[in-house]
Amino acid sequence: MSAVLKLLAGRLAISLLVLAGVSMLIFAIARVIPGDPARIALGPNATPEQVEKLRQELRLDQPIWLQYGHFLSDLSRGELGTSLYTNRPVTRDIAQFLPATLELILAAGILMICIGLPLGIVAAKNEGGFIDNLVRVVSLLGVSAPSFVWAVILMILFAFFLPLFPIAGRIGTQFDVPQITGFLFVDCLLTGKLDALADALWHVALPAFALALSGIGQAARLTRANMVETYRRPHIEMARSYGFPEWRIARKYAFRPSLIPSLTIIGLDFAAMLGNAFLVEAIFAWPGLSRYGVAVILRKDLNAIVGTVLIISAAFLIANLIVDLLIALINPRIRHGRDRS
Amino acid sequence: MTDNILDIQDLRLSFRSHGGVTEVLHGVSLSVAPEERVALVGESGSGKSVTARAVLGLLQSQRSAQITGRILFEGRDLASLSGANRRKLRGTKMSMIFQDPVSSLNPLFRIEDQFREVLRRSERSADMRRTREVAGKLLRDVSIDDPERVLASFPFQLSGGMNQRVMIAMALVNEPSLLIADEPGTALDVTVQDQTLKLMRKLADDRRAAVFFISHNLGVVREFSNRLYVIYQGRIVESGPTGSIFDDPRHPYTKALLAAVPRITRAGIPEIEESPEAFSAPCEIHETAGVAA
Amino acid sequence: MNRAVQIILSRPLSIAGSVLIAVVVLSAAMADLLAPFPDHRGTVVDFSNFNQPPSRQNLMGTDLVGRDLFSRILYAYRLSLILGAVVLALAVPVGVTVGLVAGYFGGWVRFVLMRTTDVFLSIPPLVLAMSIMGVLEPTLTNGMIAVTVMWWPWYSRLVHNLTLAEREEGYVLAAEIIGASRFHVMFREILPNCVPAILTKMTLDLGFVILIASSLSFLGLGVQPPTPDLGSMVAEGAQYLPDSWWLTVFPGLAILVAVFGFNLLGDALREILGTEQ
Repeated sequence: MSAVLKLLAGRLAISLLVLAGVSMLIFAIARVIPGDPARIALGPNATPEQVEKLRQELRLDQPIWLQYGHFLSDLSRGELGTSLYTNRPVTRDIAQFLPATLELILAAGILMICIGLPLGIVAAKNEGGFIDNLVRVVSLLGVSAPSFVWAVILMILFAFFLPLFPIAGRIGTQFDVPQITGFLFVDCLLTGKLDALADALWHVALPAFALALSGIGQAARLTRANMVETYRRPHIEMARSYGFPEWRIARKYAFRPSLIPSLTIIGLDFAAMLGNAFLVEAIFAWPGLSRYGVAVILRKDLNAIVGTVLIISAAFLIANLIVDLLIALINPRIRHGRDRS
Repeated sequence: MTDNILDIQDLRLSFRSHGGVTEVLHGVSLSVAPEERVALVGESGSGKSVTARAVLGLLQSQRSAQITGRILFEGRDLASLSGANRRKLRGTKMSMIFQDPVSSLNPLFRIEDQFREVLRRSERSADMRRTREVAGKLLRDVSIDDPERVLASFPFQLSGGMNQRVMIAMALVNEPSLLIADEPGTALDVTVQDQTLKLMRKLADDRRAAVFFISHNLGVVREFSNRLYVIYQGRIVESGPTGSIFDDPRHPYTKALLAAVPRITRAGIPEIEESPEAFSAPCEIHETAGVAA
Repeated sequence: MNRAVQIILSRPLSIAGSVLIAVVVLSAAMADLLAPFPDHRGTVVDFSNFNQPPSRQNLMGTDLVGRDLFSRILYAYRLSLILGAVVLALAVPVGVTVGLVAGYFGGWVRFVLMRTTDVFLSIPPLVLAMSIMGVLEPTLTNGMIAVTVMWWPWYSRLVHNLTLAEREEGYVLAAEIIGASRFHVMFREILPNCVPAILTKMTLDLGFVILIASSLSFLGLGVQPPTPDLGSMVAEGAQYLPDSWWLTVFPGLAILVAVFGFNLLGDALREILGTEQ
């Protein structure tokens, strides 16, 4: 187990290094703004004195490395400054909007794995056959449209044409679930409101599927490719030569080894979902980070932009750490170190 | 003839692909008697490996493969058996030792898990204790002194030679009557290869198992097999007792192969002459005296 | 190369891809000839004919100020393709050079370059482009810059991995032994062997650049009206669902068709070049 811990510590260190890099990058991007953020925030009617005062508050009058130093010391205290858009601490804004987004992404991730992997396995087992080609076309279609297009198409088909799912929102207005964690599913469970949970799941289905479609395509294609590749390896033939049942070979000898490279890509798809969630949320009026993120970007709300991007990147890095951990748990080579060649 | 372990009669095999149908075996006949060690020798692409896979019944389930002719295993025609019944023979009555020991074992499971999987082919309820007992004894037989450590290892933690011995031990778990060996040890260096062959010969003798040995190397075969078949482009070109073929090779291809066996007394490795026309001469059969063939 | 063409033509899916791409490229190139209302690409207002469903006169209906949707989609294709081509023309050389240098030199050069690449890749793709667009004015040029900044690291990572594998090959060693310069080894020996993989990725990416650019303009962070853009058309029309379905469905399908075409061809290329390697 210690090899896994060592590996994880290494990855964590690199992730922190990368996150520091991200903060520098996004900080640099936010400071090359051509316009004056203070003036934009205050509007055209502000006096020069007011603008100057805000510039000082934002430390825009200081050299950029000093600004970055202040930013880091704020960050170490868990502060990301105040949003000019909402006039509230950025951390509070993010805490309010992030759970809905994460919930949507989590639902999409589950759909991606539960649909994408089986599709890939079925395609690999029918390599070159009709089902294989069908899965290929479907998964290529899945990755060929941005998720807002899928959101629109799914909405027209399954909310308007066939009114099976709700058009927008996170939960019906008739439900009153007290906020405990901010995660609606968890709150429903904690308060024992199972009908509310069912309604929330019903609401998340369509947006999550729209968000998951490209990931489903990716996961299916990749799983297929890895399975096909694994099926050509000698250990499969050896297993067959011992007469093990075909389904057992598929599970223990083909799927497990081919899962390892698939997991890495699932991590990357997760990153794409963090961005694409913005698109889906806009269509389904999902009360997540999207509206806030776009609003702060359009208003050049420095602190909020830096804070939002940093949190999203951190979420991505954490997802990748989890993927690394899972791979280490599946692959004994990593778990037990490379004792030999 | 029926008391042979293995009887192959006029086996023809072709594969369908986009470009049409390619026949790779054009009527191969051979037999292996109980406790006999028979070698099938030929260059790569000659059809020797697919012959072994057809015997195991691995090709019969492939949609692209077309098989005609008869393969009799212990008197039963494999083609008359259902897929499930063919599968029942594999790993129990016959088992195969592969060329590349490291990549032929499942990379994600410990050796003991893989032994248990094999043991369960004959003993449904075998648990890990029973597995360790059986496997430990077999591993000692293949001269592994510390079976406990090997059993607890993953394939990548063991050397190639070690993996090869594990694979031989694994093939013997269910006491098969026929052991098929596909160029065992070619992926390893020469001294290890030599050791493995000696081990395999001794173990097969002890267990009275017949061995069907596939190789491209006549030098290796000479010490190992009682009888041999030379295969060239999907046809058997010469067959007979090993000694007799080595003393008096008759077919041009066999002569060329023999000339290609490196000898320490001569300098360098002679090249095989490119004379495909001569190689397609009819099959030469050495009459066997005494051996029940 | 002839063989590649043959293989492409022997598979229904890659033929379909090529046909889709041909349709998209031709309609973009000949928009002036094909569009029934070429002037509708700009600020034209025709309130007598606004928000009309598809008809014989307006194949895909009209938008909220009465412009012909079909004409605007043709011009939007032109813009998307130009954007995709420019982004790749900028991002690929940068990414390839970084990847080659990092992979070939190794050591601290590699550490610095690849960690920098990682930083860019750690910000979810769309989010990075969004924040760049946020600080820049939303124009076509800036859109290209934003997407380019987001795109080069993918090539840097790809070529880095390829270079690591290639530099162990005999031909690289041979070139080094006869004293070829590092520049020669990198660009004349290693790079040509990476070209198939790079070309395949570029084919696929041309579609994905179009996809990301339309996502940016969907969020209001891309090309601004009245310039026709597929993403902003969907965003505008989304408020009028389901009654004015044509406002979103046709631009949405237009994106799908273009990206699908590049994906089909790229997928076929991957198989062909992958097996030929």
